[in-house]
Amino acid sequence: MASHHPATVGQTHVANQNIMAAGFKTAEPLEYHRSFLKENCRPDGRELFEFRTTTLNIGSISTADGSALVKMGNTTVICGIKAELTNPTVEAPGKGYIVPNVDLPPLCSSRFRPGPPGEQAQAASQFIADVIESSEVIKTEDLCIDRGKLCWVLYCDIMCLDYDGNLLDACVIALLAALKNAQLPEVTVNKETSSPEVNFEKRHSLRLHKHPVAASFCVFDDSILIVDPTAEEESLSTARLTVVTDEEDRLCSVHKPGGTSLSGEKLQECINRAAARQREIQKLTDKVVHSVKAAQ
Amino acid sequence: MGWLSSLLENMSPMKLCVPGDKLCSVEDCIPGTGVYLRHGYIYSSLAGYVLRKNEGEELPVISVVRETEAQLLPDVGAIVTCKVTSINPRFAKVHILYVGSTPLKDRFRGTIRKEDVRATEKDKVETYKSFRPGDIVLAKVISLGDVQSNYLLTTAENELGVVVAHSEAGAQMVPISWCEMQCPLTHAKEFRKVARVQPEYLDA
Amino acid sequence: MPTDTKRVRGPEVSQSPSLVTSKPAAALPSSGPRADGRQRDQVDVRPVFVRCGLVSQAKGSAYIEAGNTKLMSCVYGPRETERKDETDMKCGRLTTDMRFAPFSCPERGSWIQGSQDRDFSLMLYESLQPAVCLHKYPRSQIEVSVMVLENGGSVLAHAVTCASLALADAGIEMYDLVLGCSVRQDGASYVVDPTYAEESGGSCGGSSEDAGGVTVAFLPSLNQISGLQSDGEMAGETLTAGVRTCIEGCYKLYPVIQQALLKAVRKAAPPPSES
Repeated sequence: MASHHPATVGQTHVANQNIMAAGFKTAEPLEYHRSFLKENCRPDGRELFEFRTTTLNIGSISTADGSALVKMGNTTVICGIKAELTNPTVEAPGKGYIVPNVDLPPLCSSRFRPGPPGEQAQAASQFIADVIESSEVIKTEDLCIDRGKLCWVLYCDIMCLDYDGNLLDACVIALLAALKNAQLPEVTVNKETSSPEVNFEKRHSLRLHKHPVAASFCVFDDSILIVDPTAEEESLSTARLTVVTDEEDRLCSVHKPGGTSLSGEKLQECINRAAARQREIQKLTDKVVHSVKAAQ
Repeated sequence: MGWLSSLLENMSPMKLCVPGDKLCSVEDCIPGTGVYLRHGYIYSSLAGYVLRKNEGEELPVISVVRETEAQLLPDVGAIVTCKVTSINPRFAKVHILYVGSTPLKDRFRGTIRKEDVRATEKDKVETYKSFRPGDIVLAKVISLGDVQSNYLLTTAENELGVVVAHSEAGAQMVPISWCEMQCPLTHAKEFRKVARVQPEYLDA
Repeated sequence: MPTDTKRVRGPEVSQSPSLVTSKPAAALPSSGPRADGRQRDQVDVRPVFVRCGLVSQAKGSAYIEAGNTKLMSCVYGPRETERKDETDMKCGRLTTDMRFAPFSCPERGSWIQGSQDRDFSLMLYESLQPAVCLHKYPRSQIEVSVMVLENGGSVLAHAVTCASLALADAGIEMYDLVLGCSVRQDGASYVVDPTYAEESGGSCGGSSEDAGGVTVAFLPSLNQISGLQSDGEMAGETLTAGVRTCIEGCYKLYPVIQQALLKAVRKAAPPPSES
C-alpha cells in the first residue's frame, strides 16, 4: 500500500510514480497476477495447486436440524438443513425430496444486488442439486416414511456470508458437513388413525452413502492452472473448472462453464488434485463431526 | 500505515475513542477531522485514535483517525487516477480508482469533457486522439457535477493526462512527446494527451 | 401461488414435524425465574459476544450473539448513488436490508422476502439514520445489510446494535453509536431481552391489559432515542417504564460494544510502541 502521506508528496510528477507503484494492483490487476504466476506463486503467497486454509464448524444453529459453517480463506458459507414432512409424488411413491438452494445475498459482496437470485446463485443451486443426484450422497428412498403417503423433504439452504471466490467448493463442504450433523426425529404412522406421530426424544442421523468433495480450478492466459481461486483470480481467468470426486475416486461431476479449452492432460492433472483434496476434506469433516458427537 | 505512525509520534498518550465520545471543550481545541461540534463540546464521529496536533495556532487541532481513510471521496481539486472506459466526440468516461495515493474501494465514475482535455487550442481537441479505453489517466477534479453528470475532471495541465497506455499489439507504450506514444514492439505511434514526459524517454 | 423458477423447488406443501404433534406449546409461566435462569422484572440482558471486521469484502462488518440469537451485519459504501435526485447532491443516502436465513426460525422461512423483513428493514433504517452524519457523504449511498442466522428473540434490538457497530467499523462518521434493547410486558411482570419462546409464548395470558413488547434504539452518549417500536396493548405508564428499562439495558451493553470496537481499531492499526 501507499507509504507516503499525501501531504508530503510535493509534485504531481512524484505522485504519479508513487501511484503507479502502488496502483499496479488496482489499475493493472491482470499484469499484477501474471507477475506472480511467472514465479509459480500467487499474490496471497500460495502455490498454484494450494488451497486456502479450510475450517469447519458444525451444529452452531440450533433452529436447524443440521448446520455447518465453512471458511476457505475469506470465503465463508453456512448451510442449514430443515427437515419437513410431505407427501411423495405419485411417480416416485417410495422417495423423499432433497431441495438445495444457494443464496448470494448483498451482504457477502458488493457484486451482488438485492432481489431474486442472480445467474451465479441459480447456477450454483443447480450444480449442488446435480452433485447430490449424481453422487448419490443420500438415497431419496431413505427419506421415505410411509410409502405413497409420507416422506421427508430436506431443505438444504446454503448462504454465502463472505464471497472471496470458489463458492462451489465451500458449498459442497458445508452441505456434506450439515448432512452429517443432521438429526431427524423419529416419525411413525399410527396404524389406527393413520396420522403421523413424531418422537422428538428419539433422533437419527442421516445415512450418507458417499462423500463427494469439489475442487475448483481457474485457467490463466489459456494455459496456467491454479486451484481454489479468489474472487479476483476468478474474474481475471479465461476459464473455470470444477471437479467433484468421491472417496472411491469416482467422478461425480465435471463442471466447466464455457471459457477457453483445456487439454486432456491438464484435465487429468485437475482430477488428480481433486482426488487428493477429497481425502483431506473427508478427514477434516469426519474429525469435526466426531469431536462434536463426543462433546454431546 | 507509515503516515499514521509518523502522525502518531507527535502525540501522547495514545487515546482511543468511539463515535459519540465527548473529547473536549471548544475552548481547548480546534475541531479537525473525524469530530463534530455540539453545545460547545467536540465529540468523536469515528472509532479511532485521538490526535492533538499543534499547527502554529493558539489551540491544538483535535482529530480522530483510523488506519485508512476509508470514507475518502473525490473532492474538488483532488488529483485522481482513473481508467478510461469509453470515448465519444464530446467527452471521455472514466472510472476513478485512486484519490491521491489512496485507492477507492468502490468505483466512482467521472467525465473528462473535450474542452477540459488540454489548456491550449481547446477547439482543436479530438477526444479520440487524446484517450483510448483502458488508458490510465491522471486528472484533477473540477466539480462534483450535477444531477445529470458525474464528477467532472480535467487533464489541462502538463503533469496530467495519460500515464499508462497499451498499443494495439498489447504492449505498454512509451511516451515520445506531449501528444504521442510509441509501441516498443511495432514502433507504431499513437496519439494521446500524455502526462509530462520523463526526460529519459525522449528521443534525441 | 407464483412458481419460483430461479430456485430449486421442492414439494408444493410440507410441514414442520413440530406442527404434526398436536401437543400445545407449554404456556410460559408468568412468574418465577425464566427458562434460561435470568431474573424477571430486572434489567437482566443476555451476555453478548461481539466481533467486528469479519467479512473481508465489506467496508465494515459486525457479528453479534446473545443467547441463541445470532446475526451479522455488513456495510458497503459510500458508493455512487444509483438513482439521483436533488437531495442526494447535498446529503448521502442510507439503505438498509434485513433478512432472515430460511433456517433461522423454528419454522422454515421462505427465500422470498416477506413483509416482516421489509418492516424490520424500515425500522432498522429509522433507528440508524439519525445517528449517521449523512451530510458528509454527498452523492453517495451507504448500504447496511443484516442477516439473521438464528432467531433467538429480540432480533430487531440486536440488529440495531450490530448494524451501528458495522457502520463504525466501516469508518462511517456518526454522531453516536446506536444500541438496541427490548422488553416484553406480560401483565404486571416484564422480561428484558426476551428469547424467542418468551416473545411468542407471552401472549398466552391474553386477558391482561398490559401485554406487549417495546424495542428501543438508543444513542447512549447523546442520551437520545432514535427508534421506538411497540406492539400489543399497554398503558401509558407501562410503556414509559418499558422504555426506561430498555435504556438501562442499552447502558449494560455499552461497555461491551465499545470494547469490541476499540479492539477492531487496535487490530487494524496498532499504536506505535514508543508511546
